[in-house]
Amino acid sequence: MKKKYLSREYILLMTTVAIFLLMSIGGREVFLCLRNFQSMSSQVVELGLFGFAVGICMIAGGIDLSVIMNANLSAILSGMFLLRYSGEINGSILTIITVCFALIIGSICGLLNGILITKLNITPILATLGTFSLFGGISIILTKGKSISGFPNEFLVIGNGTIGKIPVTFIIFILLTLIIYLLLDRTILGVSIYLVGTNPIAARFSGLNNHSILIRTYMIAGAIAGLAGIIMTSKFASARPDYGTAFLLPAILVVLLGGVDPAGGSGSVIGIFIAVVLLQLLQTGFNIVLGTSTFLKQAIWGFILVAVMIVDSLSKRRGKN
Amino acid sequence: MSSEFRSYFKKIIRRNEFFVFLLFISIIVIFTSINSSFITPNNLFSLLRFHSYEGILAVGFFIVLLSGGIDVSFTAIAVSGMYLGIRSMIEFNIDNIFFGLLIAAIVGTILGLINASLIALFELPTLIVTLGTLGIFQGLLMTFAEITGVTAINSPPSSVINFGKINIFTVIGAGDKVIGFSLFALLFIVVALITWAFLKYSILGRGIYALGGNIEAARRSGFNIKKIQFFIYSYVGFLAGIAGFIHGAGLRYVKAQDIVGKELLIIAAVVLGGAKITGGTGSVFGTVIGFFIITIIHNSLVLIKIPSYFQEAILGMIVILSITFTSYREKIKSSRAIIIESE
Repeated sequence: MKKKYLSREYILLMTTVAIFLLMSIGGREVFLCLRNFQSMSSQVVELGLFGFAVGICMIAGGIDLSVIMNANLSAILSGMFLLRYSGEINGSILTIITVCFALIIGSICGLLNGILITKLNITPILATLGTFSLFGGISIILTKGKSISGFPNEFLVIGNGTIGKIPVTFIIFILLTLIIYLLLDRTILGVSIYLVGTNPIAARFSGLNNHSILIRTYMIAGAIAGLAGIIMTSKFASARPDYGTAFLLPAILVVLLGGVDPAGGSGSVIGIFIAVVLLQLLQTGFNIVLGTSTFLKQAIWGFILVAVMIVDSLSKRRGKN
Repeated sequence: MSSEFRSYFKKIIRRNEFFVFLLFISIIVIFTSINSSFITPNNLFSLLRFHSYEGILAVGFFIVLLSGGIDVSFTAIAVSGMYLGIRSMIEFNIDNIFFGLLIAAIVGTILGLINASLIALFELPTLIVTLGTLGIFQGLLMTFAEITGVTAINSPPSSVINFGKINIFTVIGAGDKVIGFSLFALLFIVVALITWAFLKYSILGRGIYALGGNIEAARRSGFNIKKIQFFIYSYVGFLAGIAGFIHGAGLRYVKAQDIVGKELLIIAAVVLGGAKITGGTGSVFGTVIGFFIITIIHNSLVLIKIPSYFQEAILGMIVILSITFTSYREKIKSSRAIIIESE
């Protein structure tokens, strides 16, 4: 089993390197420049965060379709919080409090998902589709459909600042990747998440509290979504109820491309991470070659998603025989 | 006689549709008591004219849910049917409504067949596949529309406009206004009836119930699972193509970016009607009532003085509450079954 994961990541890594070389040769000046790398490493972050949030739920055998609306709701509530107290408290301290606030809102939304799925026994797909609409709806009610803006500069540093030449968002992304990697690979909760995803009944009989594990999983996903909300708000200097809706398809794509089994139980953070980088390279490539038509990109993501699933399904079938 | 009646009555009360119907009646009563113009033919017939297509989509989605699958790409299929149907009438200069409908049906069926092949031949999870094909269908359609420079059609052919105006009967409303009962509403009823009869009386229809109940049991009792899946997803595609075309004809305005995004509205109608995503339960009747409730709540909030930006949150609440209710009833039922067994 272990070998299969390795080979998945190995193949992904080789593909990524190959595409990187191809693009370096093909789009020399446009591609190989500091500005492009800065913009790529900044763009990659939201996709990565949504990918982790969806991925961790899928490893646990479920799915969270509400992450994007969760991010928007967290962003709007913390944006309102920020506007309420800006000027009264020192900007840097307020920014830190706001980030914590968003993480809390995100995990409360995740808690709701978790309770619906475990205690009320609702299928994850429908539960999170329902909360998708609920979170989005509450955001619309709060803002009456408009956007909110006017945040202090200290807050905007998160999305737009750089340390050295590296965007702050990218540093956050790398740190988060490390944290989630350690969480899934080195903690009891992480191992339990894999166990519940592989076989919930076996997990229960081996003494695990499935409900508590799943609720915590969805809360973690929610917190990641909340962080994504903060990053989007800071980057665009505004929060809106409908930001990021185009991220759902690519987020699920990176999760599956990264080797997470949609039935749960397998997949790795490293796999998702490489898949995110790969997809970002492709995205930049498309932008250079095809222009920035979002719809063509959407179709291409769809094609890749379906292709990845077909290949996985065929290789799984061959493995069985 | 009376005990027979009582057991029959009990049976009805236990059904999910009974509760949905009660909810439907109470919503009508509440809306009417707050604003009496709600119950007028003017309001009701116009709701039916512009939203019957959603009802047809709901019937299609119900079958997928019944079989234990999920399809989120049907809105992209509907908009493809609408756009390509009406666009090809213009491009080929054939001002005949049956040509447009035929194209819409063919487009819908082909796209449905694509879903079906992926799901049946490769045994892929339905949600993720249809999420992918949703992206593909809408992405390609929009790219095509953008490249050809026609993202919206403001003046569809005259036969389409006339098609949208056809009434089955008319009544005289307030102020001597003539109010028509649209052909589309009849079409929705016919689709619902055909689907109901088909599910109840044909072997393929029973197969869909069986597939949703337990796929392995269905396979062992001799149902051809792949054939059933092919039927389900192409039928949904077919219905979506037609429904999209009707939508365009009713609006007299075709936008390539329309309909997609309405998935949850349709899904809400179906789960409210008592269908479960785990499959095997639910009825067309429940779906139709669910559709009416959702349509009323979604479109008439303004009539009872709730601002329209509450729509989305209320929709989410309805989905969550109705699934909670269904799953709670299921729990009670299964705990009862255990008691009976132990007796």
